Amino acid sequence: MKQMTYAEAIRDGMRVEMQRDPNVYLAGEDVAQFGGCFGVTGTLYDEFGPQRVLNTPISEAVIVGHAVGAAAAGLRPIAEIMFVDFMGCCMDELFNQAAKMRYMFGGKAKVPMVVRTPCGAGMGAAAQHSQCMESWFTHIPGIKTVMPSTPADAKGLMAAAIRDDNPVVYIEHKQLLGVSGDVPEGEYVVPLGKADIKREGSDITIVAWSWMMQKALAAAEQLAAKGINAEVIDPRTLIPLDKDEILKSVSKTGKLLIVHEEVKTSGFAGEIAAIVADEGFDYLDAPIKRVTAPDTPIPFSPVLETAYLPSEEKIIKAVEEMF
Amino acid sequence: MASVGIIANPASGKDIRRLVAYGICFDNLEKVNIVKRCLLALAVTGVDRVVYMPDYYGIVPRAVEGLAKAHHLSLDIVEADMEMTGTQIDSAQAALAMNQAGIGCIITLGGDGTNRMVAKNCGDVPLLPISTGTNNVFPQMVEGTIAGLAAGAVACGLADFPAVHRTKKIVVLKNGKPVDMALIDAVVLKDIFIGSRAIWDEERIRKVVVTRGEPDNIGISSIAGNLHPIGITESKGMAIDLGPGNISLMAPLAPGLIRPIQVAAYKILEIGEEINGEKGPLVIALDGEREVEVGEGEEVSFQLTFEGPRVADPRLVLRQAVAKGYSQGEQAMKKLHRLKEEN
Amino acid sequence: MDLKKEQLLDIYKKMCTIRAFESKIVEIFAAGKIPGFVHLYLGEEAVATGVCANLETKDFIASTHRGHGHLIAKGGDLKSMMAEVFGRTTGYCKGKGGSMHIADVDLGILGANGIVGAGMPIATGAAFACKYKNNGAVAVAFFGDGASDRATFHEALNLASTWKLPVVFLCENNGWAISNSQKTHQNITDISDRASGYGIPGVSVDGNDVIAVYEAAGAAIERARKGDGPTLVECKTWRHRGHFEGDPGAYKDPKDQEEWLKKDPIPRLEKNLLKLNYAVQADLDKIKADTEADIEEAVKFAESSPLPDPQELFTDVYAD
Ligand SMILES: Cc1ncc(C[n+]2csc(CCOP(=O)(O)OP(=O)(O)O)c2C)c(N)n1
Ligand SMILES: [Mg+2]
Repeated sequence: MKQMTYAEAIRDGMRVEMQRDPNVYLAGEDVAQFGGCFGVTGTLYDEFGPQRVLNTPISEAVIVGHAVGAAAAGLRPIAEIMFVDFMGCCMDELFNQAAKMRYMFGGKAKVPMVVRTPCGAGMGAAAQHSQCMESWFTHIPGIKTVMPSTPADAKGLMAAAIRDDNPVVYIEHKQLLGVSGDVPEGEYVVPLGKADIKREGSDITIVAWSWMMQKALAAAEQLAAKGINAEVIDPRTLIPLDKDEILKSVSKTGKLLIVHEEVKTSGFAGEIAAIVADEGFDYLDAPIKRVTAPDTPIPFSPVLETAYLPSEEKIIKAVEEMF
Repeated sequence: MASVGIIANPASGKDIRRLVAYGICFDNLEKVNIVKRCLLALAVTGVDRVVYMPDYYGIVPRAVEGLAKAHHLSLDIVEADMEMTGTQIDSAQAALAMNQAGIGCIITLGGDGTNRMVAKNCGDVPLLPISTGTNNVFPQMVEGTIAGLAAGAVACGLADFPAVHRTKKIVVLKNGKPVDMALIDAVVLKDIFIGSRAIWDEERIRKVVVTRGEPDNIGISSIAGNLHPIGITESKGMAIDLGPGNISLMAPLAPGLIRPIQVAAYKILEIGEEINGEKGPLVIALDGEREVEVGEGEEVSFQLTFEGPRVADPRLVLRQAVAKGYSQGEQAMKKLHRLKEEN
Repeated sequence: MDLKKEQLLDIYKKMCTIRAFESKIVEIFAAGKIPGFVHLYLGEEAVATGVCANLETKDFIASTHRGHGHLIAKGGDLKSMMAEVFGRTTGYCKGKGGSMHIADVDLGILGANGIVGAGMPIATGAAFACKYKNNGAVAVAFFGDGASDRATFHEALNLASTWKLPVVFLCENNGWAISNSQKTHQNITDISDRASGYGIPGVSVDGNDVIAVYEAAGAAIERARKGDGPTLVECKTWRHRGHFEGDPGAYKDPKDQEEWLKKDPIPRLEKNLLKLNYAVQADLDKIKADTEADIEEAVKFAESSPLPDPQELFTDVYAD
């Protein structure tokens, strides 16, 4: 075990896999000498050289598009899109090309690629640099969506994403990049589709991921002081989703709250709620609740941004209303 | 050892005359192509060394890279010993370095403006100017292969007068001190700024001084050409005052831009003669580009001399060279055969 | 070229205003008074100013992440701008947009933009509307060298040239896309070379010479107004600061930085103004002092303006 930040853990995940497999390479805007806009790629350029760590022009369509071609031709690209907000500039490459190639070709192709991209609000970056949009990706069959919440998960899921033979969108949260934690050294894989119980409890199940998982945990501690013992589950990957773990927990607690940072309407919480309503209706003794961002773009002014973001208080309030 | 210099200006052919007139768009890829043709031609001549001006686009290195796979050029191709600034000064610096290195002929790719900068420092080294600029009189429309063959002949000492001949120039003096020069024309403008450099508007022209002018010239010297043509080798020049007067004529001032010109007076200049008395504030354009700002209280004058650069005329050069067996016989064939084998 | 004394002094004042605005932002950002990202226009003042001096209120511009200069040059109100940067209700966007999204549609400013390269299609559309309405207006899309690598650049130039729209594509080539020098992000040096691929004229000018920019942009805008279609104008310039405040710009060669500082557009214009006797040093000092005072006032206005009510979060999502 070693103390690392979330950003260092992502980098270590890439490093170990790049050492393991010469077909893994990394391409994106300012990822080389500069070390990435948020410093995530750091020293990888110095370690692996210009053949395997490549700066690209500001050309999102071809950053993702070339990864599709390179993956189909036998490499394992990691493509970085500087902010998840810019995914709009390369959606066709992702959702019509990467996602569907295998299916359309009758299973005869595989597209083992990772698109790494940071998400999240909280830094006054306004409407086009702050979004969480995971349900854009979960809505497309053929793509896997990964959203780690801790340094250890960040590393292990990165390894799994790289080794996976499908296109994986790996979303890192900007607010988590500097968060430290214990991370296993060397090869370390967290399988995709395996949820993690981040806090055991018996009174209510809170499902949350990425930055919101940290908020849910903090809220759970405060709730414990008030006599409510919450179980906090981090699905870690939305596609594939470990619904069994969620159902198991709900069967124990009888209550479900889902927290996410993306907007409410068509957000992934709706999907989880539908699954539990469908397959775990009998376990429930209260309506399923959601704490999410409202259906608005993200405002600039910090007062408004604070009002926009789900928070510990909002989670606590929602939980209390369920009792 | 015979050597040739290449000064290719990446900035030529992109100025505002593409908007205010119909100037040719000359992209840098085409300049690379021209240099490729020059190099392939030089490789079959007796030239063994090519010195080039470094530039921000890398015209010559790109040409070399483009040829490397398919051709084995038996040429030593090296960068001129100079510091690149990315401005027009580079052309003058390169010419100086080539002059000092004992180069036999300099091929230039650019317009009148580029050649003007080269002429400042090339000394007696003959120029073989290929036109890539907009309104050019000094450089010629010559195919790159032919330019390469001709430059090779000059560098190998196979050409002399009149194929290689001296040209005239205009020395610009500010308060009596030489500050700049022009190869073809110096123009006094009512402007006060250099701005986007190019000139195209006849209403701003006060006075024109030319070393030559033909009716088939494009640019300011065409005014002289349509008034009283003066050839490249004639020992005279002309000064023209624009303004209301008895003579009106038409002149192609820029590509596609044929304008009416009112001539107030004109005067044939003898070699050595000086035109004085233009007082600032004004701007002087040299060879088609606004270059010198003259402030209030300053005075400029112009002097015609026959001390411009030596220039090679490709057709005459090749005729002389052919007469000396340049393209026939064992020597020429040996080189071609060797190249063929190497490839 | 027909710049009269008053116009030139106006241009000077605009450039000084941009400089004062941006210099102030350096200060207040460092003091932690404003959140988010700010990308400053210091060093590039001649471009926006030279271009917008050719525009009328009815004309449109689409700006970039580095937008403060464009806004000021097109007539943006300093107080509303500053208040927006501070996230106050009195800001241009009621504090919802911030530095990267300041806009004034009434002045034809279709917004700064957080998405690199997004302005070109939008300006193309504004130009389509001008042509459709036949109102003699034009649109200018500002964008960087980095943005010329986006698909939007190519699609916009292709459509605009095919439809002969009254739009000018105004490239601010400052040699950098964040940490990537132009050499490392494209295989050409003169972005104007790309024009020929779309059958339109392309020109390159010294973007640190406001008069050169004024002339070239003026000719392009005139072409657009006359119905001759789009033009690509490349202004070569340099940003004095890092990509955004907080980026030390370690990737820049200090020698290059030094060379470009010598080409600073403001002293260059000053020299001209003095030489022409359009002003004496005291006049210039006064203009500078005035612009700095304007900015101080804008800051005061911003700081004393109210923060938005949290309920504002829910308004303006849809038009009613
Ligand atoms: C589509 C998109 N990709 C990437 C970015 C991140 N980004 C912001 S500014 C910038 C560099 C822009 O370079 P350039 O267009 O030359 O403008 P400059 O910053 O030099 O003014 C990048 C990559 C973005 N905002 N939008
Ligand atoms: Mg740039």
